[in-house]
Amino acid sequence: MSEYNVINSRAPRLDAPGKATGRAKYVDDMSLPGMLYGAILQSPLAHARILNIDTSRARSLPGVKAVVTAKEAGLVKYGVSPARYDETLYCHEKVRYVGDELAAVAAVDLETAMDALSLIQVDYEELPAVFTVEQAMAEGAPLLHDDYPRNISAEVHQEFGDVEAGFKQSDLIKTTTFVNKRQDAAFLEPHGCLAEFDLFGQLTLHTSTQVPHYVMRTVAMVLGIPVGQVRVVKPYVGGGFGPKCEATPLEMSACLLAKVTGKPVKMNYSREQVFLHSRARHQFIHTITTGVKKDGTLMALTNECHLEGGAYTSFGIATVYYSGSLLGGPYKLPNMKYDGYRVFTNRPACGAQRGHGGVAARAAWEQQLDMIAVDLGLDPVELRLRNIMSTGDVTCNVLDMSSLGMKECVEAVRDGSDWNAKRGKMTKGKGVGIACGFFVSGAGYPIYRSETFHSTVVIKLSEDGGTAQLLTGSAEIGQGSDTTMAMIAAEALGIKLSDVRVTSGDTDLAVDLGAYSSRQTLMTGHATKEAAEDVKRQVIEVLAQELSIPPVDIDFKNGLVVFKNGNVDFSKVRTSYIQEHRGWTDPPSGDLTFKEAARMAFLAKGTIVGTGKYKPGRLGGKYKGAAVGTSPAYGCSAQVVEVTVDMETGKVIIDRMTDAHDCGLAVNITSVEGQMEGSLSMGMGEALFEEVKFDGKGKILNANLGEYKIPTALDMPNVKTIIVESNEPNGPFGAKEVGEGAIMPTIPAILNAVYDATGVWIHELPLTPERVYRAIQQAKK
Amino acid sequence: MKRLIKLRVNDKDYELAVEPNQTLVDVLRYTLGLTGTKKGCEVGDCGSCTVIMDGKPVNSCLVLAVQANGRVIRTIEGVEADTGLHPLQVSFVDKGAVQCGFCTPGMVLSAQSLLERNPKPNEAEIRTAISGNLCRCTGYQKIVEAIHDCSEKMTR
Amino acid sequence: MLLPKFDYHEPATLGEACQVMGDLGQKTKALAGGTDLIVNMKKKILSPACLVYLGRIKEMKKIDSSNGLFKIGAGLTAAEVAEMEEIKNNYSALSRGASCLGSPLIRNLATIAGNLVSARPAADFPPPLMAYGARVVLKSSSGERVVSLDDFFKGPGQTLIAPEEILTEIVLDKLRPFSGAGYIKLGTRQTLEISLVNVAAFVSLDGPDGVIKTARIVLGAVGPVPLRAPSGEKALIGEKPSEALLAKAGEAAAFDSKPIDDYRGSAEYRRAMVDVLTRRALNEAINAARSNLN
Repeated sequence: MSEYNVINSRAPRLDAPGKATGRAKYVDDMSLPGMLYGAILQSPLAHARILNIDTSRARSLPGVKAVVTAKEAGLVKYGVSPARYDETLYCHEKVRYVGDELAAVAAVDLETAMDALSLIQVDYEELPAVFTVEQAMAEGAPLLHDDYPRNISAEVHQEFGDVEAGFKQSDLIKTTTFVNKRQDAAFLEPHGCLAEFDLFGQLTLHTSTQVPHYVMRTVAMVLGIPVGQVRVVKPYVGGGFGPKCEATPLEMSACLLAKVTGKPVKMNYSREQVFLHSRARHQFIHTITTGVKKDGTLMALTNECHLEGGAYTSFGIATVYYSGSLLGGPYKLPNMKYDGYRVFTNRPACGAQRGHGGVAARAAWEQQLDMIAVDLGLDPVELRLRNIMSTGDVTCNVLDMSSLGMKECVEAVRDGSDWNAKRGKMTKGKGVGIACGFFVSGAGYPIYRSETFHSTVVIKLSEDGGTAQLLTGSAEIGQGSDTTMAMIAAEALGIKLSDVRVTSGDTDLAVDLGAYSSRQTLMTGHATKEAAEDVKRQVIEVLAQELSIPPVDIDFKNGLVVFKNGNVDFSKVRTSYIQEHRGWTDPPSGDLTFKEAARMAFLAKGTIVGTGKYKPGRLGGKYKGAAVGTSPAYGCSAQVVEVTVDMETGKVIIDRMTDAHDCGLAVNITSVEGQMEGSLSMGMGEALFEEVKFDGKGKILNANLGEYKIPTALDMPNVKTIIVESNEPNGPFGAKEVGEGAIMPTIPAILNAVYDATGVWIHELPLTPERVYRAIQQAKK
Repeated sequence: MKRLIKLRVNDKDYELAVEPNQTLVDVLRYTLGLTGTKKGCEVGDCGSCTVIMDGKPVNSCLVLAVQANGRVIRTIEGVEADTGLHPLQVSFVDKGAVQCGFCTPGMVLSAQSLLERNPKPNEAEIRTAISGNLCRCTGYQKIVEAIHDCSEKMTR
Repeated sequence: MLLPKFDYHEPATLGEACQVMGDLGQKTKALAGGTDLIVNMKKKILSPACLVYLGRIKEMKKIDSSNGLFKIGAGLTAAEVAEMEEIKNNYSALSRGASCLGSPLIRNLATIAGNLVSARPAADFPPPLMAYGARVVLKSSSGERVVSLDDFFKGPGQTLIAPEEILTEIVLDKLRPFSGAGYIKLGTRQTLEISLVNVAAFVSLDGPDGVIKTARIVLGAVGPVPLRAPSGEKALIGEKPSEALLAKAGEAAAFDSKPIDDYRGSAEYRRAMVDVLTRRALNEAINAARSNLN
């Protein structure tokens, strides 16, 4: 039995009934009277100078209410990180990728808006374009941004320890180069938004976002209005996974058009535009060298990475740091050197996606570790266990593993998958592979440099004392954060989950940086817990006074008052409660209830409001870029994947997956499993199917969910999930992340299983039948 | 030119004037306000817009409203009973089959259609029945479990 | 995504449909399941001035088994074809092909007629139908003609159907004893796939342990149209089935294929897969033939 009353259970999600009945509202389900429809004009060319934009014909089309270009929008630079604002809402001098935004229109209906777009005449002078890292960095290559020679948008050079010395002490040194492909997050709901200015000039933007807070700040900056006059409200969101973690031209266009027309404006991206806007996973080209002792002890690692970044920086600076820093663990590694280059190309900008920056690096390294294990004649599990980090270890790049059940995860999947009976022992074409990984539980610092709290939470009690209203700016995007916060509040307050009502995703309610870097359970969770404790303290104080007992003698549990020192005569409180509620149908009986106590508190002090806040302390080292990768806690996981490879066609089928994840403490067990299963599915898609493909002119060939292939129900096997709980000291009730760490081992576990099945190492994703077939044929030669 | 069509949606009759180029999903969502039917791709790839038409689950983004004239349509709004959630919806809630929820209406309808045809499906049959409904959040595991759970409850 | 504007007709009978198609001429498209046409119209690849919806025509949804023939209404959906007991039992490769098409939701809309007339080189209906020696009936107000499916396809998206014609029916011969077919599709995912390669094979044996009397091998996605593999077929005639024979036929079929490189796969890989899939499809066909005692 759990020591908890609410958390650490399988409570059904609060949003599930609404979603299962179709009642839950997403942004395109909303409409406002007099609403206009907006549409965006995007560049058909990958790189071109804009000679002229003529909007006159579009403006004179009946039904068109506004046409805006850079002339109307201005040239305020924005981006994800203030360190590198390099976008303007609409292009002015040139376009840099197929899909770059040029103009937007608002009209009485979508048909008219689309017609108007086709009437905007843009004259271009086409420029030579670069599409690959190689082309972009070549001597004399055309530059996307004049200030960035060789198209390098960001570079990182770090060394921890003494790598050269580490290699000298090594018995085996292995180098491999690994390449993934550009991914799309392929959330089911395309971006959409609805903007409205009221008659006092206050803006409300309803939008499908992961980060209402950052959207609010960016919209205010770009439109030139005070932050306090912008309210961003997130309705239910149909998935994000990273790319909805920034203010989009769609959102800013809707706001601008609403400002210009004085009418509400609704805008959506089509599925094709979701691909064009992208901001999803980069392509990473990693060259990794690892040195080990004969017994498998890791001595040194060098990691050189080139990221194909697309036309703008977006999240890229963080990404290029992450693809180095996230190899610091979960193995004891004394010496590590990293050289990262993020490169501009004339393609859609890449950004963050589940496992930000670390997924390809992890795949490359975990595959190399298996190669080393084979060379040393060690079982891959054994090699990992010999180097495994545990609670209290600090990585060479100063990431503090304040809790780490990594060893427990490895042992759990080894035993849970029947590894010892299977590895190297199955028939040709069948195999198992293992891999590990870890991830941050919330970025240690906000995206913009600030002393801000990362989360604030308000909990108010209803005047009858019966309901705790939890107000938060955090973003429920499908991961279950509303339910998690309600459970944390109920637990901390000592009431039932059904007595908590959550309102979230609204910048007017509280401050929250949003749903990214797997931060909300820990960070919003902390603020929630603190707010609940604040409420609890206030109610206890009043009750203690009423009953003339010390406050420390009072506690709440499951909505009832617990007197720690035996029976207390509370008839006075009960009588007064009942007197106040004549005719009400629920006169309390038996134990004194929280509700009665909370009503007393209201009568004594007015509305009871508790607040909570959270920001991490100083984290990480002092070197340049030390902030990226820091976190108050790290989740970790291990996976074993079992595959069948058709040796004649190269087709890979995933037969079984066993995943163990250390989430500190599972606030909601079902939701933790759901995050694990979902991560595995996304990792499996990246491993086997997913690749955004382009023609020679920078146009996407498969900007749809038919040919950009995410796993279907028939591709996913049964997944066995094992939760490991290491009780994180920095987490609320010991909880930490699960949403992203669980994707880390998936790709390399598949790569390693395919090796076990075929005897072939494949260093490029995705493992399409053709790629696997070629590798098998190559090995035969 | 607009045409008059008759639709029976969730046991209610509608007479509507529609343009030939209006799709069924748009008429359901924007004319009838039945926004539980979602639009994820608009070209039949994702299944978010699944409705049951004349007893069969289809992508309503690929059906013209005029094509649906005279037909019987069930949307997610027609699944919920007067007494509360349909057992399938209860299973989806209980088993944690819902995350972002955008695929859920289509999933529920594909599953309901399966259970109407085959009350005791095995895992392969369940996976096949929902294989036109993409989900990016769950990895399908808990959706399959929910459908199985409902089948058990209803055939017990 | 908005559809372009068009005029819409909804004939109730085949006669009426032929009349309308004849009157409207070039800028008209017949709308069957819509799973290709509507998508192409949304993407502005096609914008016909008029659509003639065939889905209300009951005559196009019948099957008829008489005079040694098996006739399938071209208006039947892939799901209906896949589930029809008569087809499952007698034309298992066709049933297989139908159940591989798109997704369950697509299969409830997509029709045989639509799948054939849209003439995608990787389509799922043509290989098994051609393997069974199918003919298609093309009707217009001026009469009807019956065309072998072998001759029907002219290129990607192109067939010899005239603008005023409607593909109404598929005609198959009743299967003789000891004949049968197989169909194998190779895609990246398990479903919702455009074939990388698909192969159907048909054989008829002169007895349960006898030699191969006739053979048809049809290759999809390795040419502008679904292709017969003449040298692959020739290698089989008069021979007793064996692993070596199938390997020979597979190699020959690979030689017959005309794949190209595109973003879905390379010509070289596709050619190699023709070999593999031909062997497997033949194997299925031989097993089906042996168990077909009729």
